Amino acid sequence: MESAKNFLDKVYQFERAVAIFAFSVMTLIIIADVIIRKIAGVGIAGAMRIAVYAMIVTALISFGLASHKGRHLRPKFADQLLPKSWEFQIISVQESLHALFSLVFAIVSIGVVYETYLLEETSRMLRIAIWPMQSVIPFAFIVGFIRHSLYALYPEIRLGDNSDMANQEGLSK
Amino acid sequence: MMTFLFIALIIVALLLRQRIVVILGFVAGWCYVVWGDGELSYVVMDIWAAADQEVLLSIPLFILAGNIMSQGSIAKRLITMMRVATAPVPGGLAIATILSCAFFAAISGSSTVTLIAVGSIMYPALIKAGYSKNFALGSLCAAGTLGIIVPPSIPLILYGVMTQTSIADLFKAGIGPAIMLTSIFSIYALIYNLKIERGDFQLSEIITVAKKGIFALFMPVLILGGIYSGLFTATESAAVAVFYAVIIEVFIHKEMNFTDLQKVIIETSTMLGSLIPLLMMALSINTFLAYEHVPHGLVEIIQANVNSQTSFLLLTLVGLIVVGCFVDIGSAILILAPLLAPLAIAQDVDLTHFGILMIVNLELGYLTPPLGLNLIVAMGVFKEDFWIIAKAVLPFLLLMFIGLLIVTFWPSLSLFLL
Repeated sequence: MESAKNFLDKVYQFERAVAIFAFSVMTLIIIADVIIRKIAGVGIAGAMRIAVYAMIVTALISFGLASHKGRHLRPKFADQLLPKSWEFQIISVQESLHALFSLVFAIVSIGVVYETYLLEETSRMLRIAIWPMQSVIPFAFIVGFIRHSLYALYPEIRLGDNSDMANQEGLSK
Repeated sequence: MMTFLFIALIIVALLLRQRIVVILGFVAGWCYVVWGDGELSYVVMDIWAAADQEVLLSIPLFILAGNIMSQGSIAKRLITMMRVATAPVPGGLAIATILSCAFFAAISGSSTVTLIAVGSIMYPALIKAGYSKNFALGSLCAAGTLGIIVPPSIPLILYGVMTQTSIADLFKAGIGPAIMLTSIFSIYALIYNLKIERGDFQLSEIITVAKKGIFALFMPVLILGGIYSGLFTATESAAVAVFYAVIIEVFIHKEMNFTDLQKVIIETSTMLGSLIPLLMMALSINTFLAYEHVPHGLVEIIQANVNSQTSFLLLTLVGLIVVGCFVDIGSAILILAPLLAPLAIAQDVDLTHFGILMIVNLELGYLTPPLGLNLIVAMGVFKEDFWIIAKAVLPFLLLMFIGLLIVTFWPSLSLFLL
């Protein structure tokens, strides 16, 4: 169990670093674009596209951050309907189903990215291949599969859902 | 038969505590594979298409700007300003509480953060000044909800993305109802607390505290002024808000360093990690529904059974109040906005106005048991029993409902700036 926790902590550190980098790129390039456009009348070519790709990377990498911190939204109104004594089993099933969901979407998204690669789809504005950016989708789901499988095996290492109610409100405003 | 199986599986998923993103992913997959003769890969393609939109950039930027501005002592500065400014008015401290919440909400971008930041200072102050516990709890919980209607509001952006409505227009439309609700709460605070002792008017003190809080107060002016004057788009104003927030907190107030900034980015990323995948799944379902002409079918059913705009609006109000009691506002908008928008158009309801009434309606959900987020947060912050807080917010719920009726049946209140 300890090694699973250590492994997930390392994954979290990696996701954290990528998220900070991608978020910073997104923010800085938009700010630079807006400032330059307002001053010079012309913005940075392709700035918005780069920002959108950086946002996608941030959002999907952060899918793992939200799992790590127990921040995925979950309706709780049905929580009291099953007996409390089933708690451990329910959490195992909950995490197993999340892992299964991630696995299915990981497999399907690998196929989609491979198709994009074969079709040599490119970003019209930036003239670069799209598939490296798209790869973040299967990556997020693969990590999700590993993370939630480990949570199913060792529920003790996970944080509870909506563990910090005050911070749930990313969705609220 | 497949429909019954589908509903049964959703119920099982809820019992087994599945996250909304998993449930929406399952629904999207089921729609394409079972009902649409399609493939699961369509969902992944929709996920990519949903995320690949420039309009979404405003979401992380506004959240980041709000998170940066919430880190320092802005709440304290605003509260001091409002306290001094409202001291000579009967119930001045209560009005200061409501105004602080409204202004802090416009800056922080969060209803619960507003409740925590303003509440932790104002709750003991209100009790000490002789205000009733019920009033203090109710006013803080209710005024905290203003966060989602005061622009810039993430629910308004989500609604704009899901229904292809101009986000700048939605922000402009939110101003009237936000001022109206703030005024209703303030008038109630004044009447309820007429007997409470008032303070003196001191111009010099007002000027002193205004100097300390002026930069924070200028942020909503910058964002809304930029959008309203046509100088910025929603995304541009979000970028300007981040830039301004960093300058204020790091260089002027000096309450934040770059290590703190990193923590705020992680906090914001984590919020995005729960929000954007939800949005992607919801947009995939939306794409399927549009492809299968489901909204069109719904419009025909509603038109056959609902014969006036008023009946449609009343039905919507009741439905959304019930939904707001059980589902969080983000999920409710992502799921219901694309379904309700065509119905609103068919009933000649302006989509921007409909967005505002939908958000104000769902705002009530913050204060309604069993899942009212502000009630739950208030339990922790004020160390009070859930049902005591739920009872304390009742008069404010009634006021909000009156406000909701005004917003619903007086479209000009929302649309006068457009």
